[in-house]
Amino acid sequence: MSTPAERATNAFKEQIDGPIASYLSSCVHCGMCAHACLFYTETEDPRYTPINKVEPLRRVWKSEYTFFGKLASKFGLTKSVTDELLKEWELLIYDACTLCGRCSMVCPVGNDIAYMIRKTREGMIAAGYAPRGLKDATYRAVTVGSPMGVKLPALKAQIKHVEKDTGLKVPLDVEGADYMALLSSMEIMNFPEYIEALTRLFDKAGVSWTLCSEAFEATNSGMQIGSSDIEGELIQRIVDGAEKLKVKYVISPECGHAYYALRWEGPNVIGKKYPFEVVHILELLDQLRAQGKLKVEGKLDQKLTFHDPCQIVRKGGVVDEPRRLLNMVSSNFVEMEDAGVMNWCCGGGGGVSANERAEPLKLTVFNRKKSQLEKLGVNTMVTACANCRINLEEGIEHTNMDVEVVGLAETLAEHLAD
Amino acid sequence: MLQPWNKNGLTVAERLQAEGISRRGFLKFCATTASMMALSPSMVPAIARALENAKRPSVIWLSFQECTGCTESLTRSHSPNLETLILEQVSLDYHHTLQVASGEAAEEAREAAMKENNGRYLVVVDGSIPVDNGGVYSTIAGITNLEMLRETAEGAAAIIAVGTCAAFGGIGYAKPNPTGAMPVSAIISDKPVINVSGCPPIPTVISGVLAHFLTFDKLPEVDDLGRPITFFGQSIHDRCYRRPFYDRGLFAESFDDEGAKKGWCLYRLGCKGPATYNACATTKWNEGTSFPIEAGHPCLGCSEPDFWDMGGFYQPLSTPTGDVTRTLVYGVVAGALIGAAAGSMARTRKIKAQKEHYKVTTDDLEESS
Repeated sequence: MSTPAERATNAFKEQIDGPIASYLSSCVHCGMCAHACLFYTETEDPRYTPINKVEPLRRVWKSEYTFFGKLASKFGLTKSVTDELLKEWELLIYDACTLCGRCSMVCPVGNDIAYMIRKTREGMIAAGYAPRGLKDATYRAVTVGSPMGVKLPALKAQIKHVEKDTGLKVPLDVEGADYMALLSSMEIMNFPEYIEALTRLFDKAGVSWTLCSEAFEATNSGMQIGSSDIEGELIQRIVDGAEKLKVKYVISPECGHAYYALRWEGPNVIGKKYPFEVVHILELLDQLRAQGKLKVEGKLDQKLTFHDPCQIVRKGGVVDEPRRLLNMVSSNFVEMEDAGVMNWCCGGGGGVSANERAEPLKLTVFNRKKSQLEKLGVNTMVTACANCRINLEEGIEHTNMDVEVVGLAETLAEHLAD
Repeated sequence: MLQPWNKNGLTVAERLQAEGISRRGFLKFCATTASMMALSPSMVPAIARALENAKRPSVIWLSFQECTGCTESLTRSHSPNLETLILEQVSLDYHHTLQVASGEAAEEAREAAMKENNGRYLVVVDGSIPVDNGGVYSTIAGITNLEMLRETAEGAAAIIAVGTCAAFGGIGYAKPNPTGAMPVSAIISDKPVINVSGCPPIPTVISGVLAHFLTFDKLPEVDDLGRPITFFGQSIHDRCYRRPFYDRGLFAESFDDEGAKKGWCLYRLGCKGPATYNACATTKWNEGTSFPIEAGHPCLGCSEPDFWDMGGFYQPLSTPTGDVTRTLVYGVVAGALIGAAAGSMARTRKIKAQKEHYKVTTDDLEESS
């Protein structure tokens, strides 16, 4: 049995590809990524400089893939990956990074730093260096089917409530439907209004859709903890469910990383093409709007703003869709500073919210969102990610702010024209 | 330029007054010289005092294989200015373009100055020195340039090589160099030689070097090419007012396109500014009016060695200058092979790592792990 440090080193070797080698060799140490990272801006701790977080990966690249590094390692002059290093960096890689990707946007030489941190996590978890909370969530995701331990009976109970409230049927396991909707556990347990919103919106728009009893969970703890093995296993469940029901599209719910894992990483980690297309709920709703199938009435006149979920806006480029949708139902929509692709993270993405140890830091970095909100003076914030939503609510609670956080789909559903 | 030397009885102050330059104007010149040469402001009175009291050193100006452009540059002033006044502080005892005397009388003036001021006079040289076939390609009064330089340099305190020909060989030295032209520094090794390069050099730079010598009795600090570092310390590119366009990647692609009209960077039109060290961008020409880049033309790099052989004037710096096709082909092939080898080694390493892949399972996630 190999040692943890050896397992990490081997995993890093597996992960180092063309892009990573060119990123590492082209870093000019300018430090611009530090100022793009809310963990740095809110703490001013230089260890939180994004590129510094990939140090373990960089060490392996240097000693294995660079001329001078190889030369130096022949003489035993290079620093290798050790348990102490991994232990120390676990706090930087998991607790102080939400994979929000803001650093990648500002890098003057075009390094995708968030991608490198994602790859670094592969080595960390191979060596067992990951936070307890995130390990537990991942364990539940694999064994139970949901990081929060939500099982099918819980979903069925929520469906029953929704059906009673709306008088509509929530389709479950309907073979041959066009769309298969996925949910995040957070939505099932904390925000069932999302299920209700989908039911009502799709009923009005005449969308043929279904839920799948074998694959309703969209979140992917495997991606967050950084294990392609587990990420692939969870993705495969969705692919199997979609294939069984023969759907044409799979809808990623209001969840950031689920969208990233399913839409961008999924086919790579399972090594084959999907037999369906992945669409984010915001993209689908905007499509329905364009087709005139989404009819709303009445506008909210209170001042409200939109929080962009990182993975949706930066990885998915879904920027205009939520704004077009929001403007349908609001007469006083205002943008926060840095809105759109450069918006700041809620502070709880990328597995941070599942990591109890990181909670004090998470609440510290919430100050960034707090100051964004204070400048606007709004009392309502709309978002499109259940994880962002719960995080923002926690931060708002913690700092005694008076801001209500709501989901975009449910806001639209409330204004559906009869 | 050559003044009637019977004015010798006058002090500098008197002389300046006679020329209509106030003491205030003179001190201003001293201050400008001090700042130009990066000297401390406390040196201004020292410069003024030194210039006022300086014993007029004898200067022998030797023009060899040249075009007289350097002399033109130095004398091209529309009104008596301080640069010319500084020249008046020297006794220009021999300059065959400017002097009145001719023939034997002229050569006698040189010999007399050498004898009278042995070991103390300054020699200014413009033009390169042909050395092939005994230096027969350029002679003055039957004496080859080579011989005249050696002879004159012997009793000199220092030599100022003015212009790129004297400093680095210039056009005479350019391929195929049919006369075996050489710069001063290749011939004289036992005397201090300072290179004031440029084709032609900036007049202020020549007078600045003279002022320094008059003030401190020695030549200013020089760079690795023997040029006064205060004037040649920075590249044209670093001080160019078009630099912001370069930084933003905005280039004129031809002399009449939109970019040229908007004053964008001339790099792609062959500007040698990035590789050229001189004071043009700051001191400018024609009494501070303009300089080539400001007039819309790329820098030719005239103050650098071998500037005639650095490829076409309108070829961008990144374009190779010689016939490199063959070398390039070998290089590309070798590079590709090395790259492929390194790539395959890296790939082998990655495949090996993949074979040793450690699969993360739920066992790794449990408490005991």
